[in-house]
Amino acid sequence: MTEGGRDGRSRRRFLAAAGAASATALAGCNGILNDGGGDGTGAPAAATFDDFRGSGANIGGRGEITGTRVADLPDLSGQLNIYLGGGEGGLYTDLLSLFGQVYPDFEPNVRLEPSTQLASKIREEQSAGGSFADVFWAVDAGSLAAVASEGYTRALPDDVVEVVPDQFRPDNAWTGVAGRARAVPYNTDQLSASEVPDTVREFPDTAALRDSMGWAPTYGSFQAFVTAMRLLRGDEATRQWVTDMQDAGAAGYANEFLISNAVADGELAAGFANHYYALRVKAQRPDAPIDLAFTSGDAGALINVSGAEVLEGTERVDLAENFIAHLLTAEAQEFFATRTFAYPMVPGVPPVGGLPRVDELSPPDIDLRQLDDVGGTIDLLRETGAL
Amino acid sequence: MSTREGLSALRRRLRREADGDGLGLTLLSGAIAAAVLSPVAWLFLRVTDVPTAEAVSLLTAPSTTRVLTNSVLLVTTVTVACVLLGVPLAMLTARTDLPFRRFFTVVLALPLVVPSYIGAFAFVSAFGPRGALADLLAPLGVGRLPEIYGLGGTTLVLTLYVYPYVFLTTRAALLSLDAAHVEAARILGKSRLAAFREVTLPRIVPGVAAGALLVALYALSDFGTPAIMGTDVFTSYIYVAYNGFAADQAALLSLQLLGVTTVILALESRVGQDDASAYASGGSRSAARIELGPWRWVAALCCLAVAAVSLALPVGVLLLWLFRGGPGYAAGGFPFDLSFAVNSVGVSAAAALVSVLLAVPVGYLAARRASWPARLAERATYVGYAMPGVVLGLALVFFGVKFAPTVYQTLPLLVFAYVVRFLPQAVGTTSSSVLQVDAHLMEAARALGESPRSAFRRVTLPLIWPGVLAGAALVFLTTMKELPATLLLRPTGFETLVSYIWQVQEAGYYGLAAIPALTLIAVSAGSMAVILAQERG
Repeated sequence: MTEGGRDGRSRRRFLAAAGAASATALAGCNGILNDGGGDGTGAPAAATFDDFRGSGANIGGRGEITGTRVADLPDLSGQLNIYLGGGEGGLYTDLLSLFGQVYPDFEPNVRLEPSTQLASKIREEQSAGGSFADVFWAVDAGSLAAVASEGYTRALPDDVVEVVPDQFRPDNAWTGVAGRARAVPYNTDQLSASEVPDTVREFPDTAALRDSMGWAPTYGSFQAFVTAMRLLRGDEATRQWVTDMQDAGAAGYANEFLISNAVADGELAAGFANHYYALRVKAQRPDAPIDLAFTSGDAGALINVSGAEVLEGTERVDLAENFIAHLLTAEAQEFFATRTFAYPMVPGVPPVGGLPRVDELSPPDIDLRQLDDVGGTIDLLRETGAL
Repeated sequence: MSTREGLSALRRRLRREADGDGLGLTLLSGAIAAAVLSPVAWLFLRVTDVPTAEAVSLLTAPSTTRVLTNSVLLVTTVTVACVLLGVPLAMLTARTDLPFRRFFTVVLALPLVVPSYIGAFAFVSAFGPRGALADLLAPLGVGRLPEIYGLGGTTLVLTLYVYPYVFLTTRAALLSLDAAHVEAARILGKSRLAAFREVTLPRIVPGVAAGALLVALYALSDFGTPAIMGTDVFTSYIYVAYNGFAADQAALLSLQLLGVTTVILALESRVGQDDASAYASGGSRSAARIELGPWRWVAALCCLAVAAVSLALPVGVLLLWLFRGGPGYAAGGFPFDLSFAVNSVGVSAAAALVSVLLAVPVGYLAARRASWPARLAERATYVGYAMPGVVLGLALVFFGVKFAPTVYQTLPLLVFAYVVRFLPQAVGTTSSSVLQVDAHLMEAARALGESPRSAFRRVTLPLIWPGVLAGAALVFLTTMKELPATLLLRPTGFETLVSYIWQVQEAGYYGLAAIPALTLIAVSAGSMAVILAQERG
């Protein structure tokens, strides 16, 4: 958590390599072209380890993958009702198809909606006395916590989630399955890596960023970032920062994919976004002048998770828990790392080649459960006029 | 003498029966209004969770006032702009010798079928600071385009996609206008302008007002366009509260929004006292067309320009997405299936059918009787139209689970949500076409021995049929593009064109959105053809 980071310069420029890799990784072919590369052991014959892995140049640098294999777990069988948060969650349906190849008897019944909407919906359903999903798999911790804080979840067994670091599975009410870092996408034609400040605090006073920064105040991940800032620095300092950013001409966008695209287009010099959006832009436009910077130890370095929880009232507890165990297998973790560019949640699977490892980032010390205080953040953003 | 007495006795009896019948109809209307208003009860239920002090501070916070002002401003500018655009275009296509009249009538009505979230997105990608147009003009030394984000841009985009409401209702009013009145005024020496002002205008005002009402409520409840165009309005405020798991705050703000709706409804009922000739036509004799002379080509160019920005632009951007290849645009996990289109058409047709069945009694009663319960029932159906989709959706999640778990996340509840949202469009067309049917025709049928029911079926219904059908088509095409309630209430695994478009856009794969979006526009254009075919243009 040192100010300035340990090797800040060296980890700034990594997208050039990762982008080339991701262009093919996103195409997501079913491993027909991958002859070798993975160790391929463990998984049942219907789908090999390579099927879970994205294809592309990053495979060469994957190294050894360890951890529980699909073959080590009991079979998934029968119908499971899953409320699945949208966004990049859409890519997760590919993973479910792969599980379907392994287990022909497994029938995931998936409902895709925005994560926050599903959380609100589960709260309405449960408060009216009904339970319509067995598992809630959301793309942000706030949504998971909003359901858990009302007591609508069943605690996950230790043997399922013990591989996950404690901070990503508070009280075992839910567990992270893939991480994503807050990052600063910047335009490489307009800024050099050293011009991007190392702390979020310095952004409003950086001359090079004046009138050319983008943020997405209505976007859940941005609100989680502001919530984190409130937890770290208090409401007063956060309010001041938001006001300073407005004075420095920060422009509002509807979501962070738009911000990352605007950065690539040169419409913005830099912005606040989740790390994988820049990778997506790069995958679509390999020559786009965009790269990522990470701040150190502050809210700008928050690592949020996509995670899953078992809902109260389910009649399929064993299947639901076994399903979450499957999300933490080496195969599934490799899928998240190589196909969605997320940070794996189990130590045996490294992130894709170009990305700094989770332990190389300097995330702030924050209880992810507290990220569900979105209400206070919204009030603050409203009072400052950012919303 | 005895004949006359006999006649007046018959008339008294008929009136008594009609009153008796009216009571049944009033009760039915009231029940329908109560059913579509029921989601509002959820708002009150959730609002009780908000402590009074907090409620007061939320409702009077400077930011609440600011977004409320923005919303009212947006509703006003969009409504005025739609009238200024829709009425002249209606005049040109209905009353003048504009070249390619038929073509322009169709093309100028079509923007209504483009979902505003697609239109706004197309607009930003074309006219944004680094959009296609800026790229095109940069070599010519044009450094900076006018700001597209903000209230001005939002007004522009919303106007371009909803003005057809005013265009359609005004056209219908113009087509049903009896030309003899205008001719009489001209013969009496009035100038063309004076004849328009004194004769035509007063007769088309109710039609214009009916269209303006739909525009105003749409502008008030739309979330997508202001969000993309960067204007903070009440709906985005509600959406944020909702996303922050503050359903109680969202409910409170929604009630405030419904307050604004009530004001708009009251305003419109003053202007459009009798919604005569709002959509359906039935004029006795069409007037001679106004000859524009050389101006007709200027007029044609104007029409073409409107069609280009409101219709050709989004379609062009969709085609661009379609043909811009590359690995990033071909993501796995989202195979498109033709069944999505079948699902969309199925639920939309069901929503149109149910809406019409409910709209006929409500619209008929409101047009035939000036009683306040009849008017109130008719006005009440408009409330759902102004409720933000997510709020309505959550209300139905709660009530569905609580009182009807067997229909929760099944098609009937989804169709009910659509009906709550879009019923007023069918009510409006129905009541205005009922107004055009001479009430004496019913009396004549009754005097000739028909029962009230069969008189309605054999005399009134065939006459109001075009209006009813136009209402069904409007409900159909708005249901086709409805997003929030669709996402919340569709049966699990039931994907429609819009739910698919949402999924791929969320994941950033715009290329995949092109085909379903174009399909959506093509199918909805078919329903627009139904609306226009009902005209006698």
